[in-house]
This record gives sequence, structure tokens and C-alpha cells, in this order.
Amino acid sequence: MGGAEELFGLLDGLEASATTVTSVRQPVALRDAVKVAVELGMAANPNEAAVDALRDRLEAFAQHLALEQHFELHPEVRPTLGDLAVVAAELDAHPLAGQERLLRECAAELAELEPGASGQDVLLYAMGKRSVSGVEV
Amino acid sequence: MSLGAIVLDNEAVQALLDVAHATHRRVVAIVTEVSRRNRRRPGRVAIIVPTAVRVEAGWDRTDPAAANANRIARPRDVPLDRPAADRAVQLRAATGVSVVDACVGQAFESAPQPAAVVSSDLGDMARLRAASHAPDARIVPL
Repeated sequence: MGGAEELFGLLDGLEASATTVTSVRQPVALRDAVKVAVELGMAANPNEAAVDALRDRLEAFAQHLALEQHFELHPEVRPTLGDLAVVAAELDAHPLAGQERLLRECAAELAELEPGASGQDVLLYAMGKRSVSGVEV
Repeated sequence: MSLGAIVLDNEAVQALLDVAHATHRRVVAIVTEVSRRNRRRPGRVAIIVPTAVRVEAGWDRTDPAAANANRIARPRDVPLDRPAADRAVQLRAATGVSVVDACVGQAFESAPQPAAVVSSDLGDMARLRAASHAPDARIVPL
């Protein structure tokens, strides 16, 4: 928990943080690819590209960590695969958005087949099932 | 097209802040789905909260009581600068929504598209979407 506290504190202070020069061992092809991508408009310079990528990855990791800590404290609010499928459909304006019962049934089936399935996996599964069964939704 | 951002309205923020709120689980499910997408493709989906919403919902990010919400959502503020305020005024005049909802409309219009707005006020959000330059914005009920 202490390490997580430090991580969140450092991320929150990122905008105002001083900069430092550091060396990173990286594949030559990666360095060259970044140079080319910057020339093509990916970022203002290779440094910005690297900092942005690392920050985004750290933010994603920190958010996941925070959610897991939240679910440890409040297991009753951890979303089910069915919840995530319903949400994924709504966020993507998916054709199955609004078909909550179908998505929850498919989530229950898929959870048995693939324990690591995501909400978007359920959408694919449900579309495939609809295609096979010929059922209009 | 895959999602670019989600914008939280006042009710969504209140739900996020309070674990006992009736829709806390729902808003956490939305944030969890966004988190999963950002782990696969870092930086892909921003969670955006207009500053006017933060004021209305009482989300002081320096308040220790808000630490959990700060960490779960990792939200990006949308400041109400001059261009944003002008646009919110225009949206409010066109739709008759509240000041804060007009700021929500300005936020989802200026967010990476397609954006989704998480709200309990579906009618106002639909009016804002119709008046906005973001006709593909998704309205996700809280």
C-alpha cells in the first residue's frame, strides 16, 4: 500500500515536476522508428513521445491498482462480466446496447468458457451466437 | 469507432464519490471498462470532468475524502476558459439546460471523439447533443 501511495503522489505532481536527463537502453530500431514517427507528426519531438507513452502507461497501471484496492475494500461494487458487457455496449453504441438480458446470459456462458473474458469479448460472443441462431435482436 | 473519452456529469461524479450511492456500482463499472481499455492501449480513453461539474458536485481534489475517487477515475479537468465559456453560453441558449449541463455539453463536444457522456439527465443530454458539433456522442445512462 505504501508503494501505491507514493506512485499516486508522484503522478499527481507530474505536471509541476522538474525534469531530468536519463539514459534508456532501447532497440536501435525503436529509436529510429520514433524519429520517423515524430517527423510524421506523432509528437513534437522524441522526448515528448517517450514521456507521453510512459505517463499514459503509468496512469493506466495506477488506475487499475486503485480499482483493485477499491474492490478489496468494497467487494460488493466489483462489476460482474455481465455489468462490463452492458457498459461496453453502451460506450461503443454497439448494436446490442439495450439488450441487457441477452448480454448477461452470454456473459454467464462465456465466463464458464473463458474466465479472463472482457465485456467486449461478450459482445463478440453474443453477436456470434445471434449469427448462428439467426435470432434477431 | 472506438471510444475517445467519457465525460461525467454531476450525478455521475456524486455516484463516484460516494460508495453508498445507489449508482456507485454502475459508475465504477464504466470506469473499470475504461481502465481495461487503457491498459490495452494506454492513453486511449480519457475520463473528463468539467470544472463546473466538480464545483456543483463538491469534488475538491485536495480533500483527503476524495482521494479514492481521484485515484479510481484519474480524471482530466476541463477548465472553463474564455472559449469554453462562450461555447457553453451558446449551448445553453440553444437548449435551455442548466449552466453546469451546458458545460458538460461543451466538454463532450470538445473531447476526443466519439465521446460518451455519463448522465442521469438523458433528455437534457440529448438536447445538448443535437445542438452540438458532436452528433455521434453517446449518452450513457447512469
